[in-house]
Order: sequence, then C-alpha cells, then structure tokens
Amino acid sequence: MTAPAPITPAVRERWLARRRWARAAWLYAFMLVMSFFFLGPFVTGLLSSLKDNPNEYPPTLNIPQLTPAVIGRAWAQGVQGSGDGWQGGLHPGRTVTFEVQVQSPPGAPQAPPAVTLFPYQPVSLVAVARQAQARDYATLDTREVARRGDTRTYRVTVRSPLLTRQTGETVRATLTEPDTDLRARLRNGQTVPVRLDTPQAQERQYELNAGQTVELTRGPAGYTLRGPVFERTPLQVDVQRGQRIVGSTLPPSDRQDFGRSFAFRNVTPGVLGYTFNNYRRAFRETADPASGRSLFFSWVLNSFLYAFLRVAAAVVFCSLAGYALARMTFPGRNLIFLVAVLFVQMVPSQVNLVSNYVLLKDLGLLNLWGLWLNGLVAAGGVFLMKQFFEGMPRELEESAAIDGAGPLTTFFRVMLPQAGPALIALSITQFQGAWNDFFWPLVILRDNASFTLTVGLSNFRELYGGQGDYGLILAGAVLSAIPVIVLFVVFQRYFVDTGADSAVKG
Amino acid sequence: MLRRGQTPAALLFLAPFLITTAIFFFYAFGRAIYYSFTDFNLFNDPRLIGVKPYADVLGDPSFRRALANSLVFAVITTTLQTVGALLMAVALNTRIRGMGFFRSAWYMPSITSSVVITLIFLWLFQRRGVANYLITQWQAFQPLILTFLGVLIAAQVAQVLWERSRRLPAGWLDPALAATSALLAVAVTAALAWTGVVTAREVPPFDYQYFADRWISVGGLRVLSVPMLVVIIQNTFTTIPTLMLFFLAGLQNIPGALYEAADIDGATPWQKLTRVTVPMLRPVTFYVITVGLIGTMQMFDQVAVIGSAAPGDTLITLAYYVYSNTFKAGAAPVNMASAGAIILALIILVMVAAQRRFFPSEAP
Repeated sequence: MTAPAPITPAVRERWLARRRWARAAWLYAFMLVMSFFFLGPFVTGLLSSLKDNPNEYPPTLNIPQLTPAVIGRAWAQGVQGSGDGWQGGLHPGRTVTFEVQVQSPPGAPQAPPAVTLFPYQPVSLVAVARQAQARDYATLDTREVARRGDTRTYRVTVRSPLLTRQTGETVRATLTEPDTDLRARLRNGQTVPVRLDTPQAQERQYELNAGQTVELTRGPAGYTLRGPVFERTPLQVDVQRGQRIVGSTLPPSDRQDFGRSFAFRNVTPGVLGYTFNNYRRAFRETADPASGRSLFFSWVLNSFLYAFLRVAAAVVFCSLAGYALARMTFPGRNLIFLVAVLFVQMVPSQVNLVSNYVLLKDLGLLNLWGLWLNGLVAAGGVFLMKQFFEGMPRELEESAAIDGAGPLTTFFRVMLPQAGPALIALSITQFQGAWNDFFWPLVILRDNASFTLTVGLSNFRELYGGQGDYGLILAGAVLSAIPVIVLFVVFQRYFVDTGADSAVKG
Repeated sequence: MLRRGQTPAALLFLAPFLITTAIFFFYAFGRAIYYSFTDFNLFNDPRLIGVKPYADVLGDPSFRRALANSLVFAVITTTLQTVGALLMAVALNTRIRGMGFFRSAWYMPSITSSVVITLIFLWLFQRRGVANYLITQWQAFQPLILTFLGVLIAAQVAQVLWERSRRLPAGWLDPALAATSALLAVAVTAALAWTGVVTAREVPPFDYQYFADRWISVGGLRVLSVPMLVVIIQNTFTTIPTLMLFFLAGLQNIPGALYEAADIDGATPWQKLTRVTVPMLRPVTFYVITVGLIGTMQMFDQVAVIGSAAPGDTLITLAYYVYSNTFKAGAAPVNMASAGAIILALIILVMVAAQRRFFPSEAP
C-alpha cells in the first residue's frame, strides 16, 4: 500500500478556498429560498387576484389574464361589444361573435351545444338597484362554421337590439328617478326627458331602474332610448354527455361536469374587464347609486388624506418636541421623556378606547379630523427626532449663539435644514403607520364613506368572504398594499433603517 | 450661560406634543380608570359602583378565554419570532453581494398592513386553499423527497470518509462536499423518477378546515386554537424580518476578537453561537423580547378582520374583548371594557417588569 500524499500548504489553501465558495453558494441558496417564502404569499395573492376564480383547485400559476394572445382576444371582443377595447361591455345595436369547439366522438350525440345568457347581479356594500341583464334583451344564434375530424367549431352570435328608430348622435346617460316620464342625467349633469319611440322600448321601460346606464339618441325628436348598456355579457355553454368542449375564444371562468359545462362570466370584457376585472369591480361594485361615487375610491382618498395629515403634523410637531428634548435644558426634561415618550408607547391603545371615543363623540369629531387629532403627535416620532438631534454636533448651535440667534432661529434656520434624512425617515414611518392603521380608524370612523382602506377591506371580508368571493378581496388587498410598496422601493434605505418600530406589531 | 432661560422656549416647542398627549393619553387614561369604577354604558350618567366592574370582568368566561388566548399567543409568538430572527440574522451576518435585494424581498410582509396580510392568509388557508394544496403535494412527493435525502446523506458520509482518509479535516456538514452531494442526489432522484423506479404517489387532497372550532388541548384543557395557530404563523412571518434587523445591527457590534479567541480554543459553530453570540446580544434580545411582548399582547387587527370567519372563542384576545364590549348593540358595558383595558395594561407592565427582573439586559 502506498501512503497518501502529504498535505502541502497549497493543497490546504485550495481546499479552504473551495469551502468558502461553497459556503457562499449555500448562503445564496438559503436567501433565495427565504425570499420565496416571504414574498410567496403576497405574490401568489397578487397573481390570483387576476383570476376569475382565485379559489380554483388545484391552484395553478397558469393565468390566461397575463397571456398576450388571450389579452388580444379580450380586446377584440370588447371592441365588438362596445367599440371600446379597454372597458368592453355590450352596447345597444352591437353584434358579438364567440366561438367554441365541441368534440363529438362517433356514437356520441352530434347536436350543437345549448347556449344561454345568464344573469349577473353584483353583491354590494350599498343597496344597488337591479341592473338590466343582457339575458333579457340580447338574442343568441348558434351555427356550425367548421369541422375537423370529431371536432366542430360553432359560432355563437350575440345581438343587442336597438330600441329606437331615430338616427343621430349617440350619448351615454344614467337613468334617474322617473316622475311622469322617464328621465336621464347626461354626462354634463343635465337631466333630460327620454322618449320611447318604438313598441320594444315602451314595453321595457318598467324594467329599467334609477342608476341604470343607458345610451340615448339625440335627434329632431329630442332624446330617445337607444337601449341599456351592459357591463358584462355572461354566457353559458353546455353539451351533452359523451361530448366535450375543447376550446373557445376566451378561456372559461368556470368549468363543470368534466368539461361539458362552461361558464364565461363576460364574453365582451375588454382588457380592463379581463385582466383587471376584480380591480374594476372593487371600484364599481361599491358605487353609491344616489351619487354614483365609488366607496372604494372614497376609502383610497381618505387613506391618502389621513396619511398626509399625519406626515404634516409629524414633520412639524415631532421635530419641535424632539429638538427640545434633545438639545434644550429645562426642569423636568427627563421626566417628560420617560413619561410622555417611553411610557406612552408601552400602554395599549385599548386603555384609551372608551375615553377617546366618548370625547370625540361629544365633540362631534367621529370622522377623519377626530382620527387625526387623536394621534396628532406620535410619541414614536418624537423619539426618532430626539435620537437624531442628539447626534448632531454642538458647534452648530454655538455658532448660532455667537451670532445672537435665539432658540427659534437656531431651530428653524440651523438645525432643521440639517435634519433632511431624519425628516424623510420620519415621514416614511408616519405615512406607513397611518396607511396601515386599523384600530383607531375602526373605532372613530363610523360611516361607509369615511372609512380608510383598512377598515373598508375589513368590511369586504365580512361581505364577500362568507361566499368565497376572494377575487374582490384579493384585489382590494393588493390595491391597498401598492402605495406602501412603492414607497418602500423608492425609499428602501430609510425603511430598513427606521421602519423597524412601526412594523413590529405586524 | 448659553442655556439659561431656555425653559419658555422648550415649553413652547413641546406644547403641541404635551397638550395632545395630555388630552388623548393622560386625561383619557384617568377617565378610563374612572369609568372602570362606574356603571357607565355610553348612554347614562356614570355613577360610582366600586370594584364591581372588575369582578364582573374577571367572572366573564369570555374574558378568561381572551386572557388565555392573549397569553398563549404572546408567549408563543414572541418566542418564535425572537429565535427565528436571531438565527436568520446569524445566517445573514456576512458581507455578500446582493444583500440589498434580499433584505427588500424579506421585508415585504413587514411593510404591508396586518389587514392585507390577514386577508391573504385567510385565502391561503381555506379548505381548498394553497396551504392544503402544498401539504397535499408534500405528501404526494414523499417518495422522491425521501430518495433525495437518502442519497444526499449516503453521498455526504462517503465523501467525508474519503476526505478524512486523505488526512483532510472535513466535517460532517462540510459545505463543499454537501454541494456535491446535493447535486448528485438531485441527479439520482431525477434518473429514478424518469425511469419510473420512484414516482409521486396518489393521495387524496388534504382537506383540513383551519378556521373552525378546533383546539390543541393539554389534559382536556383547551390551550391553543387552530385559527390562533394560523395567526401565530402569520404574525411570526411578518415580524421576523424586522426583528432580524435589530439582531443584525447588534451582531455588527460584537468584537471579532472574541470569535478569533473561540477559534483558537477549537470551539464549534454551535459553541460559538451559544457562548459568544447569544451572551453578547443580550441587550438586543432584551429589547426584541420587550417589543415583542408589548406588541403581541395587543393583537387586535387579525381578530377583527377574520371576524365571523372563525368561531368567536378561538381568536378573541384581550384587545378585542375591550373593543367588542365598547361597541355592543344597546347599552354597552363600557365600564367592563375600561376595566378589561386596565387589566390588559397591568398585565403588559407586569410582563415587562418580570422580564426585566429575570432576564439580564447587559452584555457580559
């Protein structure tokens, strides 16, 4: 037996180098896996928020809403239905074609599929009058247009009728409460009487409720009803046992009975109605019928307003207080810091719940302004600014004092201009805290229109979660998260260094 | 001389903060204490009735359930997030390119609101949700996973023995050999799968209802509900990155000389962790535990958002107990809400004080 070669320094050095490289590789692999772990839930939720049915099982990352070819077809369908490839919909006088492929093996029934339109009535946070349904107006025609082996292609034609004989300019309007006549509000706010100049229009007038979007024709006779505007064209396609649906212009929203029953929630979606359907629903299906204003939109505005108010107050008042505690000498300074800054942060908000609720109620401030006042000067913000000012060199103040500057001048002209980075950090943490705040908005904001996004989303869960409609919930959650994520990406350095405190309560 | 006469200016600077805090914190605090000794129900004029509200609260089964839930949640979550954050900080305490990206990616759950994360977790943990699907996949791929692990271990043992026969000091967890072993295991597993020797097995979908009246019991006593366990997972998931940053900052301050001395003494990585890193990080750990306890004892958002999706007893916490008593329909027992809130505050103060008493906060 030959003894192994002796270990030389060169061999050992090469051996150690391999270990360093391998350790780094393992570390990268570990960090990559953890990235998937931390990003996974949110990204999965984001991708699924685009699906017609986020609850599909088994879950898949195959998302037609992100497939260019399918998006192109959604656009084309939207153009057919309304002339608008973005919003889609089915407008009066329009004709839409939709193709399905049916496989009928020998011995199986060879009949064409049964095609129907089905109703779609959104559940909403506000009581919404029943919207007109395409099913009650449009006509369907199905015919075979191609055949290849066992598979036939059928073309379904959806026609939305015109209810007026008058020709002229087409305008969009919203029906209002009728008096003796049908009336509609135009885009410019003007309310006009609507004439029904055909028997078809006259027999339909009692089915149309206030808030219904319609098209009118403006001509010599005034405004005549052209027909209701449908946001969706929901289509159901069924075949018999033995047959199978193997293709369609757009992927189905639901499939049942082992591929024999396909539901398409909208065959005229347009791009927004296809890829961002759940997001569009979040805004539209929370609309107040009286004002037409979207509750979800109000929530977004309220959250922005609240966050900016919080940032503005913090930049001014937390700086002043932090500076005083850091750089001024006066009796009781340490006591104020201990009691008003540190102790305050340890006591749970629930302690002051009843008192502050009653106080703001008595003052008539159960609204955004009361919410702002309740947390006007954040103890955490004061702490942050105190830490920052304590780190600044004394020479700045001494120079100012030599020039005869008083405290106010020293602060506003010398110290505050130096505090840019700290003020940015403070603004970020306060914005994030206000945007994500849930407890106090829930307590203080009492009517739908005054909610912030977090409270509104909680209501979403109560209303839509029970029936498993997670499309809307996930879309709302993603919309709520976007501003904070954008803020984080832009100001990442400040977040990581200072965002720790406000994020701990998770 | 420079500072004489600063008191008026200081008070002027502090006025907005002090006035706001005085009204919305101290006055409110005092008023809450007062209400907790009255019969106030939001509609009457409060009348002092002594400690009856406290007795009523302590006698309320809901309060006792909320108390148990809050304590269990606080202890488990704080423990998990502290240990998890420390281990991740130690693993990451390396100068490595791309750290910024990974920090951003990991930080994502911390910056979004608890409402958003709760909604996403509700969706993930449905009966036919992603969580159950992943468990199903894990069960289905057991044969492949076991094959991979078996080959990995066998290859590692073989390589270490070979290296040692060449007088090279390879450890059992040698990273270079582990990399080679992992690649070999992947190749062998792929080959066996491709040839059909080992395949994923057919398993029925894992069908577990998380948000139901289900409990982990000890001796017939309900300790932890399954919905609360999901919230614990979610809360830990969102707070670990933040706490990790504290530990990373602390790790930067440990002198390298201590580790060099440990190396000279032949300390193992585990010994370095337990005898150098952990003792030196005591101030940070103390802070992390304090912040964790205070935050977790106030858990409210998740309970409120989940709401009726889970049975009431499974998730109620002290914070939610206070809220629900304040906003009950009709004559709300807000005096009990105030008493409950005072008790919650006292519990937090006691926890922090006890931690300060029994857990050292200074590095050795």
